[in-house]
Amino acid sequence: MFELVDQGITYLSSQSLASLFHLFWFVILFEVPRYTLSFLAVIATGAAWKRMSHRKPHIGRVSVVVAGHNEQDSIERCVLSLHDQSQPPDEIIAVSDGSTDGMAQKLYELQERGLIQEAHVLQMRGGKSAGVNLSAGRATGDIVVNVDCDCTYDRHALREICRPFVDPQVGGVAGNILVRNERTSLIATFQAIEYMISISQGKQAANLTDQMTCVSGAFGAFRRAALMQVGGLDSGGGEDLDVTLKLRTRHWRTVFAENAICYTDVPDTLSALTRQRFRWERDAIRLRYRKHRAFLNPFSTRFSVSELLHELDFFTFNVVAAAAFPVYLVWLFVTYGDMAPVILVGAQTGMLVLDTFTFLLAASVAPKAHAARLAPFIVGYSLLYGFYMRFVRLAAYVQEWVFRASYEDTYVPRKVHLERK
Amino acid sequence: MTAAIAETVQPKRAAPPGRRILVAEDSPITHELLKLLLTQRGHEVDITTDGREALQALQSKQYDVALLDFHLPEMSGLDVALALRKDPHGRKLPRLVVITADVEGLLAHGEECESFDNIIPKPLDIYRVGELIEEQARIADEEETGIAQEPAPVQPSPPPSIGGTPPPARPASFVDDLDYEYLSWPDDLRHEHLSARGLQATLGEARFAAIVIREPISERQLTTLWRHKALFALPVIDLTGTLGPKADLDASRLGAGDAERVDDLVSGFQVRRARLNRDLLFSSSTQEQLLGRVFVSDKPLTAAYDAASKSLVSYNTSLDGETVDAKAQILATQGLLKQEFFDRFHVCPRCDSARLHVREECPKCRSPDLTEEAYLHHFKCAYQGPESEFRSGDELICPKCRGELSHFGFDYDRPGSMMVCGRCGHASSDPSVGFVCLDCNTHTPGDKCATRDVYSYRITEQGVGFAEYGRSFLATAGDILQFTDLPLELVVALNAEAKRFNESQVPFTLVSIVYENERELVAENGVIQFDQARNLFLDNVRAALPNGSMVVKGKSYDFALLRGVGPDVANAKLATVGRDAQRTVRLDLGARLVGFGPEDIS
Repeated sequence: MFELVDQGITYLSSQSLASLFHLFWFVILFEVPRYTLSFLAVIATGAAWKRMSHRKPHIGRVSVVVAGHNEQDSIERCVLSLHDQSQPPDEIIAVSDGSTDGMAQKLYELQERGLIQEAHVLQMRGGKSAGVNLSAGRATGDIVVNVDCDCTYDRHALREICRPFVDPQVGGVAGNILVRNERTSLIATFQAIEYMISISQGKQAANLTDQMTCVSGAFGAFRRAALMQVGGLDSGGGEDLDVTLKLRTRHWRTVFAENAICYTDVPDTLSALTRQRFRWERDAIRLRYRKHRAFLNPFSTRFSVSELLHELDFFTFNVVAAAAFPVYLVWLFVTYGDMAPVILVGAQTGMLVLDTFTFLLAASVAPKAHAARLAPFIVGYSLLYGFYMRFVRLAAYVQEWVFRASYEDTYVPRKVHLERK
Repeated sequence: MTAAIAETVQPKRAAPPGRRILVAEDSPITHELLKLLLTQRGHEVDITTDGREALQALQSKQYDVALLDFHLPEMSGLDVALALRKDPHGRKLPRLVVITADVEGLLAHGEECESFDNIIPKPLDIYRVGELIEEQARIADEEETGIAQEPAPVQPSPPPSIGGTPPPARPASFVDDLDYEYLSWPDDLRHEHLSARGLQATLGEARFAAIVIREPISERQLTTLWRHKALFALPVIDLTGTLGPKADLDASRLGAGDAERVDDLVSGFQVRRARLNRDLLFSSSTQEQLLGRVFVSDKPLTAAYDAASKSLVSYNTSLDGETVDAKAQILATQGLLKQEFFDRFHVCPRCDSARLHVREECPKCRSPDLTEEAYLHHFKCAYQGPESEFRSGDELICPKCRGELSHFGFDYDRPGSMMVCGRCGHASSDPSVGFVCLDCNTHTPGDKCATRDVYSYRITEQGVGFAEYGRSFLATAGDILQFTDLPLELVVALNAEAKRFNESQVPFTLVSIVYENERELVAENGVIQFDQARNLFLDNVRAALPNGSMVVKGKSYDFALLRGVGPDVANAKLATVGRDAQRTVRLDLGARLVGFGPEDIS
């Protein structure tokens, strides 16, 4: 073993820069540029962080909408925590989406106690989009904040997610999502690192170049006029990415509010995580390359450089990277034979260095993410996301491209799928 | 000397203020008795023994009430009253009450009788005299301050004559062809002004068979029947057909063929009225009257819905529902009536009315202007909203994507419905419930509205016992004396002894004889047998007591007065006296003899 490592180090250290690129082209092409962008972003946003104000933004009335299916146990805690915000909502509209537990009764109770303003109880499940559309249609506030029953929110979350709306061009704001159950399993811990890097830090970076393209469903806010203009949410999964792209089509700015912190539970088993990512990746493909393909068409009126950037980013670093990885592996083994594992270890080591670097950057801009506690898990994280997740992503892309599997997701009721096709 | 027992039934009343009273009475026993009685009640009493003297006194000093004997030497009580009314010497007229054993003779004077404000027949009911005088004085106060206790009768009519003029002609009813004497509303029973016949009825005269309601009467007016004694024990026959179950018989649609129903009603009441104890018959406590009523009518107090009543409930009696309910609940806690659940009403927290308008209303602005709207869910574009947004004539068009909804369950469905408020636009799946009080317009949210349980009531055995044996039945301890029970001759004798005791410290003992087995014996052997046994027992007692003692038969109790013997000495021997007296009596009376000395009798 030591011999192999020793051999590897000797081999790698004897390479010229050109031959190193030859060996590690995958990492150099698909990983280094991303981290460089992040680095630049963080330098800028680090300054922005310090400018956080405690004054309440003047943005009009705020309506919170919450749609849930069988959320009997969490709805009350969710509503109470909303009333405990430093800037409580002006109204809360709740929808029980075909719940079969006691959620409806719970909503009536909350309404009687004056804790929520409208309670809508649907006998048949219609899906998240329909539920949000119903409540957003009833909302009277200037800002509609969409929350999830099973998430919890920092005391200033509502104030902070509303703050960017002082800019009249902003149509949607994404909240900062952290992992609440990071200690329940190794898988959950890895996701805590992932969320920290890709959301807390990644979206801050995207913000800089106006590339924030997903107002997450767990915690997002919309200017009601903008949301109404795009017809609310559409049916089908990935509605958060979908509505964000629709807002951008109508030239609304979509931004990230790093101080609007929300905690959510993530899948804590590998199989659950895999299923979730299959769903997300399928939806991303469907939305970007079917529904919103006009962004890629230079002759379309919807075409713009700004949208092209994130499309290219996604295409390069997600689609091509996922497809190139197996090619790289095969090429490596064919070309170098026995030396391939050594090179791979070297590549992974390089990735680990980059991951650690990114992790530290992210930690510096996401003080609430318990970076110190997460640090020991970077190695595992790097392996999981460097190898396993690339294959998951690729499989999902193929599945969606070939079989249109997103049309079967149980996340959306079957009746909706049938009609949506 | 009065017992505390009445207070277990009646709430304690504040002592009436002392009044200035003139008694004009030629019989020394009577005027001594009245003086004793009235001074005990805290009044200032002057005595005159002839009419002229009485008139002079009335013209020279201010009195609140004058008690005038009808037959007085020099000037009759009537002449005194007429003269005084003609020339009161600038004084405020006192209330004039006539005392007479000859009510008919008095009534023969026709309209002149109106000079009197009230009559007290002889023999005197000493318990009532005090109350009646205080009542008259109170009326005088109210007239003076101008505050009428009750609003004037609705229909203007001449003051009812005391002279017993026949009632004006009305469409005849078959009940008048029957051989009964009735009291009539409105002729005999107008508020404070009862006719002479009405007054006689309040004294418990047995000749009246029923109260006949000849003209529509308000609930309030009906309730005034209960302000007078004994009237509640008469059946109410309704000729107007407006009283419903409040009357004992609705005769408005009955004919001569139904005479039997009147007979049954009247005789049933008569029989039970005879059994009703005087304590209840002459009680001025509505509570006791109510129990008496239940006993006499031989029917439970049955609650029924009544939209005209504020409590939405009335009972099968002429008293208003709220009062019945309040009084009957107290009787129930005393075990005299038994509750049977009737219904639970929501009541206005402000005015206690049960006449509430129930409605579904907007949880936000409390407007009842709610319209139910179905939610439609368009699967294709995920638009979900009220149906009205989709409606376009016969078509359902999605307001978001303008697509037509064509097939229920296939491209759209109706997952539920909401109530939309026409006033504030608020929508919700679950409207609130609210109440509006029809009497005071107060709005109350459903969950803030108090409730009231209403019961029907049935008389218990205990209640029957109280109705038949009066307050003494409720007394568990037999050594409580009832002033009402003291026979007149005993009161006079006691007064003399008390005087002797005050002057020369000669002790005396008043012995009360209580028969603890009375109820059982009457039930088993009948009143006559019991009475014979009681007489025999009393004879034995009389024989056993020293000379100069007095043994008097009372109503519920019997009494003995031992002269020159103190209660300590007497009580030591009384047990033996009782045992010996029982020896020759077949029925075991369970007699208890208890002696009271001058210190016990104040």
